[in-house]
Amino acid sequence: MNEPIAAPFEIPPIITYAVPGFVLLILIEMIYVRVTHKGRYQFADSAVSLSMGLGNQVAGLLFGGLVVASYFWVSQHRVFDLGWTWPVLVACFFAEDLAYYWFHRVAHERRWFWASHVIHHTSQHYNLTTALRQTWTGALGFSFIFWLPLVYIGFPPEMVLMFQAISLVYQFWIHTEAIDRMGPLEWVLNTPSHHRVHHAINPRYLDANYAGVLIIWDRLFGTFVPEDRTDQIKYGIISQLGTFNPFRVAFHEWAGILRDVRSAKSFREVLGFIFGPPGWSPDGSRKTSASIKAAWARQQAASVPAE
Amino acid sequence: MSDLLVLGASAAVIVFMVAVAAVLGFRIDARLDEAELQRLAASEGARLSEAVLDLSGKAALARLDSGRVLAARVMADGISTRVAATDAVRIKVNGQGVRVAFADIGFPPLVVRLGDQAPGWVLDLERAR
Repeated sequence: MNEPIAAPFEIPPIITYAVPGFVLLILIEMIYVRVTHKGRYQFADSAVSLSMGLGNQVAGLLFGGLVVASYFWVSQHRVFDLGWTWPVLVACFFAEDLAYYWFHRVAHERRWFWASHVIHHTSQHYNLTTALRQTWTGALGFSFIFWLPLVYIGFPPEMVLMFQAISLVYQFWIHTEAIDRMGPLEWVLNTPSHHRVHHAINPRYLDANYAGVLIIWDRLFGTFVPEDRTDQIKYGIISQLGTFNPFRVAFHEWAGILRDVRSAKSFREVLGFIFGPPGWSPDGSRKTSASIKAAWARQQAASVPAE
Repeated sequence: MSDLLVLGASAAVIVFMVAVAAVLGFRIDARLDEAELQRLAASEGARLSEAVLDLSGKAALARLDSGRVLAARVMADGISTRVAATDAVRIKVNGQGVRVAFADIGFPPLVVRLGDQAPGWVLDLERAR
């Protein structure tokens, strides 16, 4: 047994401590939207978002142990002994943010992970309550595997969990239309402007800006798209949900996968329905991000007069 | 026990925040009309052939010139639609109401109350499946 190096201090429950701040900021944003009409709220939509957040907490209590146990098990087989030093903390911050980028990108590009993550995108609104619209099935869908390489390299599991919590808290405040652009910070940080693009369903914005804290990963891996003020953003998912029932919201994509797998005519189709891009179908008759973007690009090209 | 307390307190705070949102007036609902249905059809690259609207203006069923069916439902201040081939939709006419069901659990069966008998094209759709 190679026990993980314990944290030299007691790590506070970061997300729990942040909750009063979340509540206060949501109330402030509601009043701001009411006064300025900059942004949109709808009480039924907010009720669903907040209920999904509560359900996410319940799921964390039920299944969070699976994630922690996995981290500690992998850590026993780690390559290096990276302790709790300042250089390791700095490296872990960047490594965690990079792991988040790839988790998030795959969560949009592969239906298995999308089935959990889609919940976060089901609101047609974009405000601070949207930030709390979180999945109930992330742990059961093995979303945590994207962080396992970090503990395998040797980052202490508690350190990785701490930076995951910090990232989640950071990402709360960027879910707002109340803040415009933020000058030079836009070059480095994930900001409300960048994340509005991520939540948009306008074809030009699909599958962009996967960043957690640092937008540099999108710039580096070619998925960065800046917000264009001339193209009004539409939020949500391509097939907008027709329900406010939290259970339907939580499980609709999993039910869709099950339905499609039952109708599959070959093993290849089964794999396509589970691990293909969201919207994949054997005959290509359904819409995927790629097909929507391609159709939009053709439309744009056709509308440009030839020289 | 402390976890249950935290969850209970969270639920209470949620009720409070939703109540604040309602008091602040964030209760506006969208309405469907024929112009909106035309726009929704156009966004699917089609035109509206026929349509029936719910008495409340919160649900609608339409047939597109592509032969497909469009169902629309008001979701608070937004609208959710489904477009499908006629054989992928279950339509049931019941008196002056039409029930439209899809396989997608993210779009529960839609009931369109007409206040009149269903037009012939809706009855055709019911019989088609």
